[in-house]
Amino acid sequence: MAAAGSVKVALQVVEVLETIVSRCVGPEGRQVLCTKPTGEVMLSRDGGRLLGALHIEHPIARIVLTCVSSHLKKTGDGAKTFIIFLCHLLRGLHAISEKEKNSLISDNFQTHERHWKNCCQWKCISQALLMFQTQILDCIMDQYLSRHFLSIFSSSAKERTLCRSSLELLLEAYFCGRVGRNNHRFISQLMCDYFFKCMTCTSETEVFELVDDCFIELNVGVTGLPVSDSRIIDGLLLHRDFSIYCPVDGDIRMVIVTEIIQPLFSTSGSEFILSSEAQFQTSQFWIMERTKAIMKHLHSQNVKLLLSSVKQPDLVIYYAGLSGISVVECLSSEEVSLIQRIIGISPFVLPEASSWYEISNTALVKFCKPFILRSKRYVHLGLISTCTFIPHCIVLCGPVQGLVEQHESALHGAFKMLRQLFKDLDLNYVIQASDQNDTSSPLIHKYSRESSQLPEISNHSIQRPYQDIVVKNGGELEKTQAYLKVYSNLVISSRGLETHIPCSTLKLTPTNTFQIDDTLKCLSPEKNRIIDDYELELLVDNNLTGNPTTENTRIEISYENLQVTKIDRTGSKLPVRYKSLDLCTSQSYHSSSVPAGSVLPVGGNFEILLHYYLLNYAKTCQPSEEAMVSTLIANALLGIPKILFKAKKVNYSFPQMYLRTLHALQTNQLMVSSQEGLESVIGKYQLLTSVLQCLTKILTIDLVINIKRQPQKIYDQDSEDEL
Amino acid sequence: MSRLEAKKPSLCKSEPLTSDTVRATLSVLKGVLTSCYGPSGRLKQLHNGLGGYVCTTSQSSALLSNLSVTHPALKILTTSVQNHVSCFSDCGLFTAILCCNLIENAQKTDLTPTTVIKLNKHLLSLCTNYLKSEACGCRIPVDFSSTQILLCLVRSILRSKPACMLIRKEVDHISALILRAFLLTIPENTEDHIILGKSIIVPLKGQKVTDSTVLPGILIEMSEVQLMRMLPIKKSSALKVALFCTSLSGDFSDTGEGTLVVSYRMSLENAALDQLLNLGRQLISDHVDLVLCQKVIHPSLKQFLSIHHVIAIDRVGVALMEPLSKVTGTQPIGSIGSISPSSYGIVKELCTAKFGSKHFFHLIPNEATICSLLLCNRNDTAWDELKLTCQTALHVLQLTIKEPWALLGGGCTETHLAAFIRYKARNEPESILTDDGCTQAELQLVAEAFCSALLSLAGSLEHDGGEIVTDIKYGHFWSIQGDCPSVVNWPDLLSRCGCGLYSSQEELSWSFLRSSCHPFAPQSCLPHETVGPDSNLTLDCLTAKLSGLQVAVETANLILDLSYVIEDKN
Repeated sequence: MAAAGSVKVALQVVEVLETIVSRCVGPEGRQVLCTKPTGEVMLSRDGGRLLGALHIEHPIARIVLTCVSSHLKKTGDGAKTFIIFLCHLLRGLHAISEKEKNSLISDNFQTHERHWKNCCQWKCISQALLMFQTQILDCIMDQYLSRHFLSIFSSSAKERTLCRSSLELLLEAYFCGRVGRNNHRFISQLMCDYFFKCMTCTSETEVFELVDDCFIELNVGVTGLPVSDSRIIDGLLLHRDFSIYCPVDGDIRMVIVTEIIQPLFSTSGSEFILSSEAQFQTSQFWIMERTKAIMKHLHSQNVKLLLSSVKQPDLVIYYAGLSGISVVECLSSEEVSLIQRIIGISPFVLPEASSWYEISNTALVKFCKPFILRSKRYVHLGLISTCTFIPHCIVLCGPVQGLVEQHESALHGAFKMLRQLFKDLDLNYVIQASDQNDTSSPLIHKYSRESSQLPEISNHSIQRPYQDIVVKNGGELEKTQAYLKVYSNLVISSRGLETHIPCSTLKLTPTNTFQIDDTLKCLSPEKNRIIDDYELELLVDNNLTGNPTTENTRIEISYENLQVTKIDRTGSKLPVRYKSLDLCTSQSYHSSSVPAGSVLPVGGNFEILLHYYLLNYAKTCQPSEEAMVSTLIANALLGIPKILFKAKKVNYSFPQMYLRTLHALQTNQLMVSSQEGLESVIGKYQLLTSVLQCLTKILTIDLVINIKRQPQKIYDQDSEDEL
Repeated sequence: MSRLEAKKPSLCKSEPLTSDTVRATLSVLKGVLTSCYGPSGRLKQLHNGLGGYVCTTSQSSALLSNLSVTHPALKILTTSVQNHVSCFSDCGLFTAILCCNLIENAQKTDLTPTTVIKLNKHLLSLCTNYLKSEACGCRIPVDFSSTQILLCLVRSILRSKPACMLIRKEVDHISALILRAFLLTIPENTEDHIILGKSIIVPLKGQKVTDSTVLPGILIEMSEVQLMRMLPIKKSSALKVALFCTSLSGDFSDTGEGTLVVSYRMSLENAALDQLLNLGRQLISDHVDLVLCQKVIHPSLKQFLSIHHVIAIDRVGVALMEPLSKVTGTQPIGSIGSISPSSYGIVKELCTAKFGSKHFFHLIPNEATICSLLLCNRNDTAWDELKLTCQTALHVLQLTIKEPWALLGGGCTETHLAAFIRYKARNEPESILTDDGCTQAELQLVAEAFCSALLSLAGSLEHDGGEIVTDIKYGHFWSIQGDCPSVVNWPDLLSRCGCGLYSSQEELSWSFLRSSCHPFAPQSCLPHETVGPDSNLTLDCLTAKLSGLQVAVETANLILDLSYVIEDKN
C-alpha cells in the first residue's frame, strides 16, 4: 500500500504530537506519567522520552521522531519546541497551499497529475528552506540578532569568568521546563553548587565533558526521602560495599586491579597436569604463599585500599584483611575508568615471582570509609584529583524512583546543554551587494564549515588591491580538475536552484570572450604561499561588457557571476574576495561567531527577535520564494511564545508582550523581559537548523510505501533504537 | 536469532485525575487505608485466590505490598508510601491517607493544579518549619535519662497495630523487651560517634507472648539430635573461636580457565581431605574450642574435631556472619591453609538453651552490642505482624536517638497543626506568599483544603461512630464515645485528649471537627509535669512523621501535576 506523502498528512500527524507536547512545555507545563510493559512507572517532562514512550507507528511521525532524537543526542534540549515549531511551519505551508488551490480552482488537471505537480512545488520549497537555513539564517543571526546577546560570563577585558548569578538564571530556566514545578529552583541550586564545587579555576569545558560522560557514576538515587534531602557529597560514592573494611588512619594509598590476584591452576588455553597428591598439595600451598606474599608486598608499599574490577576469591580477601587492606570488588568498567580519569593511574600489574619492585601505580586517597544511605552501604572515596575536576557526588532523593530518574536525566541534560553553550558557534556567510541593478537585495552565500575548525581563518582573508595580483588565469584555471559551480544571481533569487556542472577540464578563454583581463583579482597558490594549503575560491565575475540584459539568450553566457571552486586535498577553505570594477558588485565573505556563553532572556525572546528581523528582511526581498520562506519561518516562530504565554494574566498575555517588544525594537530601546531566566542562543540556533532540516526531509517525500515483509538483514540500526 | 515483536502503540490519556473511575478507585483505596488507621483500626485479611498464606494485617507495609494497584497514578502513591516505609518503618498509613486527602480536596477546589501545587508547597514548608522550631507546641523533648518517654513511644506503636492481638499486659511486656533490646545495642564506651549494634529477632511461634525474652549475644538454632551429639561443654572460662567464611567440605573451585588433567590413580578427594585434617590439627594445636562455618564442614573433619573436644557448628548462613564476627571479635577466615593467630576470637560462654520446642546454642559475648530478641506469638500471622511492629519500634528508637524529639500522637499533632495553619493563613498571609503569582483568596482556599485533609486524617482515628471535637485553646484532639446517650452534657464525657497531655479539668471551649470555627492561635505552652512517672502519653516519632508529611505533600503534588498518562500496552 502506498500513501501519498503530503503536507496535509504531515500536518495532521505533527498536530497530534503537538497537542501532547504543548501541555508540558515551559514553566507552566505539567508532568506526564509513562508506564512500561514491565510495570515500571516513569515520570517525565522530557520531550524525547515522552515521544519515545508513545511507540508511534505512522511513518511520517517516525521521521520526525528520528530527527528529534538525533537533535537531542547533540544538544540535550529542545524536543518539545522542535515539535511545536515544526507544527507551525507545516501549518503555514498548508495555508499557503490552500490559498493556491483556491486560486487555481479552475484548472482541469487530473488529480494524479496535480499530486505530482504539488510534489514538485514542495520540492522547490524545501530547496528554498535549505537555502535559507544554510545562507540567510547565519547572516540574520550575526548582523541583527547578535546585538541583543547577553553573556553568562562577567566580561572583564581578558579572562572570562563565569558569573554565578547568570548561571543560576540559565539553569533555573532550563529546569523550569524539565522537572516538577516545585523542584526546579532547588534542583538548579543543587546543580550550581555541584558545578562550582567540582570546578577548579578555569576548567569549565573539561568538567562538562567528564560529568556528561560519567554522569551515571557521579550520582546516587535514593527513594523514600523528600526531594529536599538531596545533597552534594565531597568525594566519590561507589555503588558497592566493602568486601572487607579495615579502618586506618593517616595517609591511604590505593591500587586498582583488573585481574584475580590469587594465582590459578591454569589460565585459558593451557593445561595443568596433576600427577600426584603431593603435587596438588604443594601447588595449593604455593598459591596460598604467593597470595600472602603479594598482599605483604602491597602492605609494605603502604597500600591500604584495593579496588578490583573482578570478584576476588575468599583467600585474597582474607589475606587482605590480615594485612589491613580494605577491598572493594566488582567495580564496573565505567567506574574504574572514571577513577582512572580523575587520579590518572593505571591498573596494578602483578609482579613476576622474583622481582619485588616498588609499585608505581598507587595513588593517595584522602579518606575511604563506608557510607550508609537508606540502610544501603556505599564506599565513600576521597580521591585526590590530578585533573581539573574535583570529584563530588550528587545524592538525589525523591519519594518515588520515577521522580529521581527524572531529576537525574534533567541534570544530565543540563550538563549537555552547558557543554554546547561553552563552545563558540561559527557563522559564515557571504554578502554580495550589487549596486548595479535594481536588485537591492543582497545575495548571501554561506560557506559551510565545521564550527570548531579554524575559527580564525577569516582573519587571513586579505583584501589586496587588484593591481598587485593580476593573473593570466587562462593557464591557471586549466589545471583545475574539480567541479565548476555556477551560480546565477537571478536564478537564485527567483528559484533558489543550484546547478552543478561537472567539468573535467575547464576551458575559459576570458581574454577573448569576456574581456575581464584587467578587472580580475585573485590570489594564486604560487603567489601567496601562506595560504598555499587552503582551497581557493575563485569567484570570477564574468561580465558581458555593455550587455547586461542578455539573460534570456543562451545559458552559458547569461550568468552574471561565475563561481569556480577548486577543491584542495586538505579540505580547508579560504575565501578570497573579488571585486569587479565594472559592476561594482561586491561579494564580501563574513565569518564571525556566536561567542561561547551567549544567552538571551527566556520567554520567547529569541523567537520574537528573529521573527522581527526575518520580517524586515523579507520586506527587502523581492516577492519571491525567499521572502515567502522568511515570512513563513518568522510567523511559525511565534508559535512558541504563544504557548508559553497562554496561561499568563492579562498584563502579560502574548499580544501585550509582543507589541511591547516590537515597539522597543522599532524605537531601539532596551528590551524589557517579563521573566527572569536565560537561555542558550546556541541551543536555539541548533534547534532551528534541525527543524528546518527535518521539514525539508518531510517535504521531499512524495510517496510512502508500506512494506509488509520481514526486515532485511541490513537495516539501519540506530534509526529506531534511539527513542 | 532475533525475535521480532510487533509493538503496539501506547495508550495516551489526558488529565487522568478528572475521570470518574480514577476518582472512584482513589476513594476505594482511601477507604481501605483509613479503616486500618489507629489503635481501633479494622483488620484486613489478604488472601490470594491462587494460593499462598492468608495475611491479617492493618499495617501499611504489609497491606500495600500485597495490594495490586492498576492505575499508574495510584501506583505512584503506593510506591511512594512503600519507599517511605522502607526508610522510616513508621507513619506509612499517615502518609498514604494524607496524600489521598490532599488529592481529593485539591480536586474539590476549582483552582488550577498549578496554583494548588505552588501553595501546597508553601504550606508544607510552613509546617516543617513550625515542627522543627523551638516554638512548636506539639512536640516534646525525649529525655534519655529515664525510660518513661521511650516506653510511651514504643507502647504507642504497639497499640496502633491491633493485628498483633496483644492485651494490655502483653503490650507492656513487649514494649519493655523492645526497649531493653534497643539499650543492649548501644555500646558502653562511646567515642565521638556511636555505632549501634543489632538486635536479631528469633522466631518462636505458638508460645505465649509473655514468654518472649531478650538475651545478650547470639542464638543459633539447632536440631535436638545435633545437640545430643554434642559433648557437654566442660570449659567454664572463655572459649577460643574460629569463624570460617569459606567452605570446609573439601570442594575444589577456582581452577582457572584452562583445563586440569588429573592422572589415573590419583585421588583428589584424599588430597583435599588431607588438607582439611591438617587444618583440623592446626586448630587443635592453636587450642580452638569452637569452630563456626558459614558453609558446610566435611563430616570427617567434624568427626576429627569432636574427638578432640572441639565444637563445630556449620551452615551458619551469611546473615549471621556479620553479627558473629562482631560478637566474637574474629575475622572471617577465607583460607584452609595457614591461619593467622590474630583471626581467632573469644566468646565468654557457650551454653545450650531450650525455648519452647526449639533448641539453641547461645553465644554469650564479653561485651558486644548484639542481642537476640526471642519473640513469641500465638499464630503465624500474628507473629508476622508482631515482628514487623518490633522492627518498626526498634527503628523508631534509633531515629529518636538521632533527633531526640517526639511528636504528640493520637491525632493531636494533626489538629494542632491544622489550627496553626488556619491561623497563619488568615492572619499573616503575606508571610506565606513570599513570591508572586498567587492571591490571598487562593491561599485561603488551598489552606482550607490542606487543613481539612489533616483534620479528616485525625478524624479517621475514630472508627466506632464517635464524635470528635477540638479545644480552641491548644487545638488538641478529643473524642466522644459514640454510644453515649445524647441527653448527657457531652463535655462531661471527655477526660483526656488524644495524646493524653491535657485533661478536661481545665476550662476549655470546644469546637466540632466537622464544623468550621474561627481561626485561633493554638497555645504552645506545655504543662510542667509533662511526664510524670505514671503518665501515659501517646507519642509519634518526629523524624518519621515529618518525612511522612513531606512525602505525602510531594506525592500529592506530583499526582496533581500529571497532565497525561501514557501506558505502554505491550
